[in-house]
Amino acid sequence: MPFVRDLVFEAGVAVRSLADYFNGGALRLGVTGLSRAGKTVFITALIDNLLNSARLPVLRAQAEGRILRSVLQPQPDDAVPRFAYEEHLASLSGADRAWPQSTRRISELRLKIEFERPSGWRAGPAELTLDIVDYPGEWLLDLALLEKTYAQWSAETLAQSQAPGRAALAAPWRAFVAELDLAGPANEDIARQCAAIFTAYLHKARQDAYALSTLPPGRFLMPGDLEGSPALTFAPLPIAADAAIAPGSLPAMMERRYEAYKAHIVRPFFRDHFSRLDRQIVLVDALSALNSGPAALRDLENAMAQALQAFRAGRASLLTTMFRPRIDRILFAATKADHLHHQSHDRLEAILRLLAQRAIARAEGVGAEIDVIALAAIRATREAQIRQRGETLSAIIGVPQAGETSGGKSFDGVAEAAVFPGELPSDPAAVFRGEALALPEADNHLRFLKFRPPVLAPGVSPPHIRLDRALQFLIGDKLA
Amino acid sequence: MNDFRPPRPRAFRLDDISVSLDDAPARVPSPVQIKSQNFPTFDAGKITSDKSADRDEQATQAAQQRGILARWRPSLGGLIGSAVGGLLSMAIGLWITQLIEGLFAQATALGWVSVGLAGLLLIGLGAFLAREIIAIARQSRIAQLHRDLALAREKDDRDAARAGLARLAALYADRAQTARARAEISDASQSIIDGRDLIDIAERLLLRPLDLQAQSEIAAAAKRVSLVTAISPRAILDVIFVAAQIIRLVRTIAQIYGGRPGLLGFIKLARSIGAHLAITGGLAVGDSLLQQLVGHGIASKISARMGEGVLNGLLTARVGLSTLSVCRPAPFIVHRPPGVADVAPFLFGAGERS
Repeated sequence: MPFVRDLVFEAGVAVRSLADYFNGGALRLGVTGLSRAGKTVFITALIDNLLNSARLPVLRAQAEGRILRSVLQPQPDDAVPRFAYEEHLASLSGADRAWPQSTRRISELRLKIEFERPSGWRAGPAELTLDIVDYPGEWLLDLALLEKTYAQWSAETLAQSQAPGRAALAAPWRAFVAELDLAGPANEDIARQCAAIFTAYLHKARQDAYALSTLPPGRFLMPGDLEGSPALTFAPLPIAADAAIAPGSLPAMMERRYEAYKAHIVRPFFRDHFSRLDRQIVLVDALSALNSGPAALRDLENAMAQALQAFRAGRASLLTTMFRPRIDRILFAATKADHLHHQSHDRLEAILRLLAQRAIARAEGVGAEIDVIALAAIRATREAQIRQRGETLSAIIGVPQAGETSGGKSFDGVAEAAVFPGELPSDPAAVFRGEALALPEADNHLRFLKFRPPVLAPGVSPPHIRLDRALQFLIGDKLA
Repeated sequence: MNDFRPPRPRAFRLDDISVSLDDAPARVPSPVQIKSQNFPTFDAGKITSDKSADRDEQATQAAQQRGILARWRPSLGGLIGSAVGGLLSMAIGLWITQLIEGLFAQATALGWVSVGLAGLLLIGLGAFLAREIIAIARQSRIAQLHRDLALAREKDDRDAARAGLARLAALYADRAQTARARAEISDASQSIIDGRDLIDIAERLLLRPLDLQAQSEIAAAAKRVSLVTAISPRAILDVIFVAAQIIRLVRTIAQIYGGRPGLLGFIKLARSIGAHLAITGGLAVGDSLLQQLVGHGIASKISARMGEGVLNGLLTARVGLSTLSVCRPAPFIVHRPPGVADVAPFLFGAGERS
C-alpha cells in the first residue's frame, strides 16, 4: 500500500512539473524557515528592492545596469491567496512601524525580472520569472512526520518530552495520558481533551523564553482554517513504537486521524509547494535559540535537519527539471544579523554552519551548491562603539521593542538604545555545550533584544545586510 | 562554562543622563561614552601566506615575484656587473676631475664654468635617481596590492579587503574620471559587504574601464606592428620598429594602471613580463597557440612577409597581455583575463580573408 501511494504521489509531482515546464517554467524559489525566522520580511524586502531597482552592488546584473525593471505578475495558482506585499510594507513603514504579523496561511507571488544578457550567443533582452511562496513556518515541522508511523511518532514525542528542559513543560500532558485507559473503547471527549492539553504543551514550549523548535504537528500551533476538525484532534499516546493497536480503541482512533492528517494536510502541502523547487533559501533565527540556551540550539538543529530531509537537492539537468525538479543551490542564512555588530557576523556564520551541518553534508553529497551567510533583509540598527570603564565594546543602536529588557533596563519602544548583546565565542561548538534551557538573563553570556523596524524614507527601499549577496547566489546565474 | 570570561551583555538608553553620545557636551560627568560608527575604520590586515587556486593568477604572481617584487640577491653576475660599473663610474669621475683641472690650468673662468656644469650634472643625476626609486617603489606597491587583494578575496577577509580598496582608490585619486567609481567603492566599504564581494565590486567599477583602455592599446600596437612588418622594405627596420612599439606599449599599459616605469623600473617590469610569457606560454597551447599557428601558416602560404607580419603582431599582443596581467593591481575575478583573440581578432581573420 505505501508503495502504491508513493507511486501515485510521484506521478502527481511529475505531471505538475511537466505542466510547469511547458507553461514557460518559472524559477521556483523556496523560502524555507521555521516560524519567526523572518520569511515574510525577507520576501517583502526582496520584492521591494527588486521593484524599486534599489542599489544592490553585489547582485551583478543590477550593478552592471542590465536589469531593466521588475514587475509583479498574476500568480499561476488560482486557489492560493496572493502574498500581501503592499500590506506588509505598509505595516513596516506605517506610523507605528511593526513587523508583519505571523503568517497564518499560505500565499504566493510571481515576479518578472526583465533584463539583458551580456555578449554571448544568447545576448539580448530576456526575462526571468520568479515564483515565491510564503507559509506559516510551523507547517514546515510536519514534513518530518511524512516518514513516521503514529506509533513511532508517539514514542519519539514522549521520549523527547522527558528531556531535562522540557519535562516541566510537558508534566500536565504526561500526567493526563498516563491515566488513560488505552485498551478501552475510543471516546471523542477524551480525544479532544488529550489534543487540547498536548497543544497547550506545544504552545508553552514555543514561547520566547524556551524557544524550542521541534514541535510537530505544525497545524496544532498554527491551525489555519482547520481548527477543531477531526484531523487535528489527536495526540501521541504512551504506546511502544512497534506495538499492535487494537481496533476500536483510543490509540486506533488517534492513529487513523494521524494518518488522515498526513494524507490530507501534510502531503498535499508538500506536493504543491515544496516538491518542485529550483532554489532554496533556509532562514534560521539562531539568535532566539542563543537567548534561551544550548538545549534550544540543539533542538533547533534537530528540527532543521528533520524538516530539510524532505527536500530534493541535487544537480539539475533538463530531464530532472521536466519531471522531478531538484534544488541545485541552497543558501543557509542566519537572519536578524543586524542584531549584532558586523565583526561578529563571521562567528554567527560559523555557528549556523555547525547548526545546519547535517543538512549541508547531505546537500553537498548529492552535488548541490551551498553557501552560508549572515543576513538582515531589513536592517533595523546602526553600529556604534561603547566605552565604559576602560572597556570598549562593539555595539548596535536601534529602538528595542516595548517590553524588552536587558541588564536591568526596560524599554518602551520609543527610546533608542545602544546594545551590546555579548560576544559570540570563537569556537562555534561552545554554544552547543550544556543542557540549559530558558536561561535567566544573569546566567547567559548573550542577550539579543528585538528591535522595531527602522524609520523608512518614502520611496526608498529599506536598508539591508547582504540581501544582494543572497540574491546573487540564488538567482545571479540565471541573470547572467 | 570555561575560563574564558566574555564581557557581559548590556544596553544603554541614549536618552539616559549618564550616557554621552558622539562627543556631545556632557551633561554630567558620564561614565559611558557611545561613539557612532558610520565609518568602519580602515586598518591594514596582516597578510602572510600566499596561495591562489587559479592558474592564471599563480602565473601572474610568480612573474611579479621574479621581476617587480624581486629582492636583490648576491650573485656572480651581479658581482661582476657591480665591479665593472664601479670601475666605469670611477673612470668617468677621474676623467671629469682631470678635465676640470685642465681647464683651470688654461683659464680660471673656464674652470669655474666646468665646475658649474659638473654640479648641474650631479643634481640631474640625483633627481634622475630619485625619480627611478620612486617609480620602482610605485610599481612594486601595485604588485603588492595585487597580492593583498588576491589573498583578501580568497580568505573573504573584510578588513583586509577594505584596506586594499582604500589603497586602490588612493592609487587612482588623481584621475578625475574615476571619481564616481571611487565614491561608490568608498560607499560599499562603509556598508556591511563581505571582503570577496567588495573586491568584485571594485574590479567591476574601477578596473574594468582601465582594462578596456589597455586592451585597445594592445590592439592598436599589434595592428601597427603587423602592418609595418608586412610592408617594410628592410628586415632591420621592422626589428627596430617592433622593439620600439613593444617598449612603448609596455610603458603605456603600466601608466594606465597607475605605474610610472623609468629606466630601471622598466628593466624590472620587463623581467616580470618575460617570466609571465615563459610561464603562460605552456598554458596557451590549448587556448590560442593552435589558432596562432593556423593563422600564421595560412598567411605565410600567401606571402612570406604577410606571415611575418601576423607573427610579429601576435608577439606584440602576447607581450601586451602579459604586461596587462603583471601591471594590474587586482587579479582577474569577475572578468575573464583577455586572450589574444580578444585584442587581435584581425590577426586570425586576416590570413583567411586575404
